[in-house]
Amino acid sequence: MSNVPKEAIEVVAQSIGITNLSPDVALALAPDVEYRVREIMQEAIKCMRHSRRTVLTADDVDSALNLRNVEPIYGFTSRDPLRFKRAAGHKDLFYIDDKDVEFKEVIEAPLPRAPLDTLVTSHWLAIEGVQPAIPENASVEAPSDGKKADYKEDGLSADVKLPVKHVLSRELQLYFDKIVELTVNRSVSDVFKQALLSLAIDSGLHPLVPYFTYFIADEVARNLNNFPLMFALMRVARSLLKNEHIHIEPYLHQLMPSIITCLVAKRLGNKFTDNHWGLRNFTAKLVASICKRFGHVYHNLQPRVTRTLLHAFLDPTKTLPQHFGAIRGLAALGPSVVRLLILPNLEVYLQLLEPEMLPVKQKNEIKRHEAWCVYGALLRAAGLCMYDRLKMFPGLLGPPTRPVWKSSRKVVTTNKRKASTDNLMQQPPVKKIASDSAIGMMPINSMQVDMQGAVGGFSTTIGGSNIGASSISRQRTNDNISGREVGGRVLRTSTVLAQAWKEDTDAGNLLASLFELFGESMLSFTPKPELSFFL
Amino acid sequence: MENMQAVNSFVAAYLKKKGFKEAEQLLEDLQNKESAPIDFHNDPELAKFIHHFSQSEDDVARYQYGYSKLRSWTYGSLDLYKHELLRVLYPVFIHSFMDLVAKGHLQEARTFFNAFREDHELMHSRDLQKLEGVLSQSHLEEMEFARSLRQSKVNIKICQYSYDLLLQYLHKTQSTAMLGVINEHINFQVSSGQPTSISDDAEVVTLIGSCQDAANQINQKEIHWGLLEDSLEERLEKAGGLLSDSEKTEGENKEGDVDETKKRSVEGGKQGASTKKLKKDKAINATAKSARPEANTTSTAPRVKPELTLPIMPTEVEQSILEDLRNRVHLSSVALPSVSFYTFLNTHNGLNCSSISHDGSLVAGGFSDSSLKVWDMAKLGQQAGSSTLQGEIDSASSEHVVGPNGGKRSYTLFKGHSGPVYSATFSPLGDFILSSAADTTIRLWSTKLNANLVCYKGHNYPVWDVQFSPVGHYFASASHDRTARIWSMDRIQPLRIMAGHLSDVDCVQWHANCNYVATGSSDKTVRLWDVQSGECVRIFIGHRSMILSLAMSPDGRYMASGDEDGTIMMWDLSSGRCITPLMGHTSCVWTLTFSCEGSLLASGSADCTVKLWDVTTSTKVPRNEEKSGNPNRLRSLKTLPTKSTPVYSLQFSRRNLLFGAGVLSKNM
Repeated sequence: MSNVPKEAIEVVAQSIGITNLSPDVALALAPDVEYRVREIMQEAIKCMRHSRRTVLTADDVDSALNLRNVEPIYGFTSRDPLRFKRAAGHKDLFYIDDKDVEFKEVIEAPLPRAPLDTLVTSHWLAIEGVQPAIPENASVEAPSDGKKADYKEDGLSADVKLPVKHVLSRELQLYFDKIVELTVNRSVSDVFKQALLSLAIDSGLHPLVPYFTYFIADEVARNLNNFPLMFALMRVARSLLKNEHIHIEPYLHQLMPSIITCLVAKRLGNKFTDNHWGLRNFTAKLVASICKRFGHVYHNLQPRVTRTLLHAFLDPTKTLPQHFGAIRGLAALGPSVVRLLILPNLEVYLQLLEPEMLPVKQKNEIKRHEAWCVYGALLRAAGLCMYDRLKMFPGLLGPPTRPVWKSSRKVVTTNKRKASTDNLMQQPPVKKIASDSAIGMMPINSMQVDMQGAVGGFSTTIGGSNIGASSISRQRTNDNISGREVGGRVLRTSTVLAQAWKEDTDAGNLLASLFELFGESMLSFTPKPELSFFL
Repeated sequence: MENMQAVNSFVAAYLKKKGFKEAEQLLEDLQNKESAPIDFHNDPELAKFIHHFSQSEDDVARYQYGYSKLRSWTYGSLDLYKHELLRVLYPVFIHSFMDLVAKGHLQEARTFFNAFREDHELMHSRDLQKLEGVLSQSHLEEMEFARSLRQSKVNIKICQYSYDLLLQYLHKTQSTAMLGVINEHINFQVSSGQPTSISDDAEVVTLIGSCQDAANQINQKEIHWGLLEDSLEERLEKAGGLLSDSEKTEGENKEGDVDETKKRSVEGGKQGASTKKLKKDKAINATAKSARPEANTTSTAPRVKPELTLPIMPTEVEQSILEDLRNRVHLSSVALPSVSFYTFLNTHNGLNCSSISHDGSLVAGGFSDSSLKVWDMAKLGQQAGSSTLQGEIDSASSEHVVGPNGGKRSYTLFKGHSGPVYSATFSPLGDFILSSAADTTIRLWSTKLNANLVCYKGHNYPVWDVQFSPVGHYFASASHDRTARIWSMDRIQPLRIMAGHLSDVDCVQWHANCNYVATGSSDKTVRLWDVQSGECVRIFIGHRSMILSLAMSPDGRYMASGDEDGTIMMWDLSSGRCITPLMGHTSCVWTLTFSCEGSLLASGSADCTVKLWDVTTSTKVPRNEEKSGNPNRLRSLKTLPTKSTPVYSLQFSRRNLLFGAGVLSKNM
């Protein structure tokens, strides 16, 4: 009558050594055993549920036995559910395949791999209710119940996308053809200027953007020798970038290579008269404006551009026009880029450049001209950078320093005059450089002396600012202002500029080193104190 | 006359057998006098009954016969009244079975049971499994379920006509066995008019026995389901009302940004698992801002005073919560939440529970090896960049596990329990964790100090569940010892003990206003308790299996409960009625949670899905429509299947980002 037959009870009784079990007892015990087993299983199921599982394990039964204060059954502990096998020839008889294990085998077996430690990973199961198709999510399967069927249909219609035909209106096609024609053939006409203006302000050009992008990239790649066309193309690019109605970001990656090409290409145009310097200048500004505008959207835009340019700049095998382009490009990206990337390499680079600039060593006049152009670009970049630094510290250029600047301007003018005579007389520039450096060296030497005095003067009062102060004092040594006076001046300004001392010292050092390299011409980039009155 | 004689002799024999001495004497006297015939002789029907009774006194087969006749009659009855009559069958069935067992006819009882159990398998499978084990009178005595069934009467609502039909049938067929069972165990509540609809038969599903009346009585009690006075939400609304709309959004933008950066710098990106998430959160906020103005659902809820002394919140915490509330995404049926899912790997079937802190930055797992492990997802986001793909996990983690001591673990291990950890809960601010285990204790851990602070002993059996109150400081626990207890962090003794459930208390949940606690039990009921008095104020009857999860709506009006079969029920706290069952899951509903403004319900189940339910449509249905009985008012909005990962816990962050956690189980 019960699932536990009385024979089972008898077998168990025998196994524990009770031989004289009366059949009545077995009969009475059988249903009770079944009841107890059911009771234990009911508790075990509770434990299973609270372990958040849907498969009963031996652990659960042990916990259930624990609940009843019964000794657990040992020997079955396994985290995994037991694997039952069907007995051959019986429909619903199952057993656990429990093999005999040799003790020796167990001992001699190599240690199993340590189990992996528990991990937690995170992923998006849904973003605003939509499941992203990532490996962590289950593949979309057919929902089972009818209510979800309509969702499924929705999902399907969203998934299957028909190829979209890009329809371009007749007017836009005409417009595009016209612009292309103007760019290629009539890039110096007034009409082209009007066209550029139209590109820069007209709304509704967005459908044409991919075509223009392709056009520019294609033409640049094919016509590096055609200087007017290149210039025209860059102007078109600039106009497109200027246009606020155009969402050009997705096409930037196609546009950038062409633009960078126009900046650092080996040759632009095929005639000597082609003003490729101008084109490079123009493109440098364009690159800078792109970086400024889209830098925050594409974090790697400016670093990539900078890296490309820096490579061009530092590669000695590249031609000088390429270097020129790179320097202009970097300079256009701002003074901080110049300070970080150009200035550290400046000294070495100038050493390489110097022979190119000398008629003695470089006979080719065009090459020499190129070298001077590069020199000019470097000077400009460094100077602007320094100007930017010095501008931040108007206190440096306060009234007491005025005599310094006046005198140094005097020096500059003389120098200029000298330079002009140099040029007139076609004197080798090496001499000029030599004289420049002589002028440059002189104050530095005297500075060394005076710095001691300056340090002695106020080192006790402003601990960390010695260098800055000394650099300033160095500038003043030209006029033989005593270190103590300067010290007093600095002491006063120091309270105001306490925060900026670090920067200040940098600026001071910068000026010093640039002065060493470029000589007096550098000073023309320092802000004029007179001007600062009007600011 | 001969017939009379026979009757007389039988009656005499019966009285003698039953030991009714006086009655026997009286009968003898009467017979001797022969003066007046006893009235039952005049009543042929009664005589027939007694006659019938005498014939089949020992005939156990009449139960089976009578029941099968009743069954076939019921199935053949008119469609309109059929479902009402069908309800009668189940109590008759189980009581007939128990009668048979009680009379010692075990073999017959078993045959009877097996013959008809299929009829009731669908509705009452779990009860039947329990009853199946009843094999002797002593079991009937011992088993609480059976005893409560035997002692009590089942209430069945039935319309007048069905009742008449049933009586007529019983009289006609003279099936006294059935009549006896029905009279003894069923209490008909006859109502005039039309038969009730099928959907309203919730009560008959669960035969909790003893306390049907008591339950009705309890459910009469008044409860104050409103939100707390001066809650943060309320303050926010007030503040929002003062500002003009444009100013408000502007302010939000600014403060939001400041908040974001501040969080990032101060807490090291604690808000989300990675900066990517932060951004996402922000983006969602931006889109949802426009939709917010009409989200004033909570303002209609009445306010109540707290009955507990509430802990005081530090102002900076309050500020950050207010900030979160301001930046909350408004969710609805058209604006579904984003779900960030934490998957546990390599748990070796050892994870019993998981819990996610309110900001989603901490995840705790309770293991069957007595350990509690806490992962800081912000840190995980930094280091686990390489092991995001599941394929790489093996190599990545083998580096991790250099040794239990030396290797760097990705989690904080809390050791202290001496039995499987069954539940863990984070305090609202995320600075404490409570865990409950089979060793009958609850332990309080500090996530700041990474140490055990307090061990709360009080329960006598495994503690299945522990939950922090919405304000922190207080917590509730549920245990196998059939009690739920209320504790406060500073006392090692429970403050209240809630006793009343007939079986294990499996889950516990606080009401939004902290004045009530709901408990779900293996006795298939959910009860609501007054925290102050410790009284049971509501009993919710309707589930057909053990309750596994509970959730309270943020407006305090509704409660959702999920059971072993995958059914979720929405309850109206004030009426104690089930609004509607939510069908959809095919296995245990492990976790339920309402979105912060109460418009969505998210459920996680062992069937490896997260389901999102639209709750607003259901709860706003006017009264009359509710009567007309459309059973599927609550809509399932979306089913999000996971990759063979049963969902153990779900948590909406204060900004309405949904976090989920589960274990990747390969042998599903």
